[in-house]
Amino acid sequence: MIPLATKAGPAPSPFSPEQQKRFDAGLEKAVAKYPRERRKAALIAALHLVQDELGWLPEPAMAYVGDLLEVPPVRVREVATFYTMYRLRPVGRHHIGVCNSISCWAMGSTSVLRRCEEKLGIRPGETTRDGQFSLEEVACLAACGGAPALLVNNFTYLEKVTAESLDQLLADLGSQPGKQMAPAGAGSTETER
Amino acid sequence: MSGPRILTAAWDEPESWSLARYRASGGYKSLPKALGMQPQQIVDEVVKANLRGRGGAGFPTGMKWNFVRKETSFPKYLVVNADEGEPGTFKDREILLRSPHMFLEGLIIGCYAVECHLTYVYCRGEFRQSAMQRLQSAVDEAYAEGFLGKNILGSGFDLEAHCVFGAGAYICGEETAMLESLEGRKGYPRLKPPFPANAGGGLFKQPTAVNNVETLANIPAIVEMGGEAFDKIGLVPKNGGTRLYAVSGHVKKPGVYEAPMGISFRKLLDDYCGGMRAGSTLKAIIPGGASSAILTAEEADWASDFDTLKAKKTMAGSGAVVYFDQSVNMAQALANIMRFFAHESCGQCTPCREGTAWLSRLLDKIVAGKGEKQDVDNVHQIARQMEMKTICALADGAAMPAKSYIDKFRADFDALVRG
Ligand SMILES: Cc1cc2nc3c(=O)[nH]c(=O)nc-3n(C[C@H](O)[C@H](O)[C@H](O)COP(=O)(O)O)c2cc1C
Ligand code: SF4
Ligand code: FES
Repeated sequence: MIPLATKAGPAPSPFSPEQQKRFDAGLEKAVAKYPRERRKAALIAALHLVQDELGWLPEPAMAYVGDLLEVPPVRVREVATFYTMYRLRPVGRHHIGVCNSISCWAMGSTSVLRRCEEKLGIRPGETTRDGQFSLEEVACLAACGGAPALLVNNFTYLEKVTAESLDQLLADLGSQPGKQMAPAGAGSTETER
Repeated sequence: MSGPRILTAAWDEPESWSLARYRASGGYKSLPKALGMQPQQIVDEVVKANLRGRGGAGFPTGMKWNFVRKETSFPKYLVVNADEGEPGTFKDREILLRSPHMFLEGLIIGCYAVECHLTYVYCRGEFRQSAMQRLQSAVDEAYAEGFLGKNILGSGFDLEAHCVFGAGAYICGEETAMLESLEGRKGYPRLKPPFPANAGGGLFKQPTAVNNVETLANIPAIVEMGGEAFDKIGLVPKNGGTRLYAVSGHVKKPGVYEAPMGISFRKLLDDYCGGMRAGSTLKAIIPGGASSAILTAEEADWASDFDTLKAKKTMAGSGAVVYFDQSVNMAQALANIMRFFAHESCGQCTPCREGTAWLSRLLDKIVAGKGEKQDVDNVHQIARQMEMKTICALADGAAMPAKSYIDKFRADFDALVRG
C-alpha cells in the first residue's frame, strides 16, 4: 500500500538512468497535450509509460508518478486499479490476452484459451514458473472480423487464430527474451487482481 | 459488392492510408472548401445530410453541433470517440488503419464548424501501437502540410489535435466516462444533465461535441456533395449516407462492409458477406452490437437503420452485425454477453452493478445445466427492473439482450433447465 500519511519528500524514481530518459521524454509529450493547468490529465499516459519500462506498476512507481503530477496517492491507485491494461503484479515476459467476447466465442475462443492453458500449464491470471508467459482473458478487442483474436503483450494483434498459428506464436515467443521483465521468482499461481 | 462507397472507396488500394494516396483520390479538397464557408453553413449541410452518430445512439450530428454552437461559453471542444469496445464492433479500427486522413479531414472541418481550437482523439489503449500509431503519423503529416496548426491554409483558423489513449475499460466508450478518463480519472459516467454539449457538462466543464470516428469520416463527403445528395444515399428517411457494417459470426466472408444506411440484414448477408458459411443455416442476428436486442432468422428482412430498429424495440447501435448459425444455443450466447456486462459495469448504480452480476450468475447456472424454469423467468424479470434507472445506458444495454433472447429463443433456455 502507498502510505497515506504525508511523506518527508518526493517519492524517489524507480527507474534506471536509461529508463528515466525515455520516461521523461514520454511524459513531457503527454503533459504537453493538455492545457498547462490540466497536467494531472496525463496520469493515464504516465502509468502506461511506467509500465512500458517496468512491465507492471509497483507501488513506489505509482507514488513517484503521483508526486510528479501532483495527484494524491489514492487517486493514482484508483486509476491504476480501474483500467484492465495496468498490471498490479509482475506478469510474464510475454502476456497473452485471449478475447472471450461474443464474436470470438462464436468462432471458438474457448478452444483457443484451452490450448493456451494446456501448452503453458497455467490458467488465466497466472504466470508460468519460468516467468516467460502469463495468460488472461480479455474483452472484445475490436477485431471481431478476425475472430478468434488475441492480443500479445498488450498491443499486438493476432487474428483468425488456429491451433497451428497459436502453437507457432507460443514457440516464437518462448524463445524470445521479451521486453516485459518479471522479477525472478514471480509466483506461478497468483491471480492478477 | 454494390452501391456507393464513400468511406471505403480507396481501401483496396496499396497503402490506402498514405497522404499521397488520399490526395490522389481527391482527399483534402473539402477542407479548403469548408474553410471558405461560414461554420453555420457547414452545420446546416450536416443537418440536411441526416448524418446520424455512428457510435451507437444515432443522434443527429448536425443537431449536436448546433447545441454546441448555441453555447456562449468558450473554449469549446470536439472530442473523438475512438474507444471502440462494443462487442462485435471493429470498424473504427479499420478507418484509422486504412484511411486515417479521411477521418482527420472530417475532424478538422468539424472543429471549424463548432469553433473548437483544441481537439482530442481518445483511442482505446490496445490500439496504441497499431491504429493509433497510424493515426499519429497522419496527424504529424497534417501538421507538416499546414492542415493542422496555426492559420490553417491561410484561413485564420487554428487547430491543435492530440491523440490520447485509455487503458482498457469498455465503459470509457460512454461519452461522459470518456471525458472523465480524458481528464485523467477512472471512467465513471457522469450524471446528466448537463450534457457534454452544454456548459458544465463537457471536457473541463466546457461545451463539447463528442463524435465517433466514422461519423466524422463522413464529413468531407458531405461538404463535397452537399447534405441533400448525402441524405439520398440512405435507403430510409432521416438516415443519410452509407454505414460501415462490421460483420462477424458464421458468415462466409466476415469483414467491414460499406452499404447504404438501412440495407436489410438479408441483403447484407447475401450480397456482401457471401451468405452463411458452408454447412451453416442462419439462426439469429445481433443487429447493432452486444447491447442490442436479438433478431430471429425470419426478421432478417428488417431494414438496419436507426429508426426502423428502434420501432422494432432493438437498435442499430454501433453497426456491429453478428450472424449466428444453428450450432449456437442462445442461452449460452446470452451468458457470454452477460459475463461481459457484469465485468464492465463501473459499479456506480446499484441496479446495474447488482443486476448484471446477478443475471450473469443465473445464466451461468442455467448453461451449467443446474437451472430451473423459474431461473429463466427471473432473468427476464430482473432485466426489466434494471431499465431506465441508471446513470448511463450500460444497464439498458444489458437488459435489452436479456429480455429479447428469452422472448425469441425460449426453447434454447428450456432445453437447458429442469422442470
Ligand atoms: C456503455 C456505452 C459504451 C459506448 N461505447 C462507445 C464506443 O466504444 N464508441 C463510440 O463511438 N460510442 C460509444 N458509445 C456511445 C457514446 O456514448 C456517444 O453516444 C458517441 O460517442 C457519440 O458520438 P456519435 O454521435 O458520433 O455517435 C457508448 C455508449 C455507452 C452507453
Ligand atoms: S449504468 Fe452501470 S456502467 Fe453506467 S454508470 Fe451506472 S453502474 Fe456504471
Ligand atoms: S469479440 Fe473478440 S475481438 Fe470482438
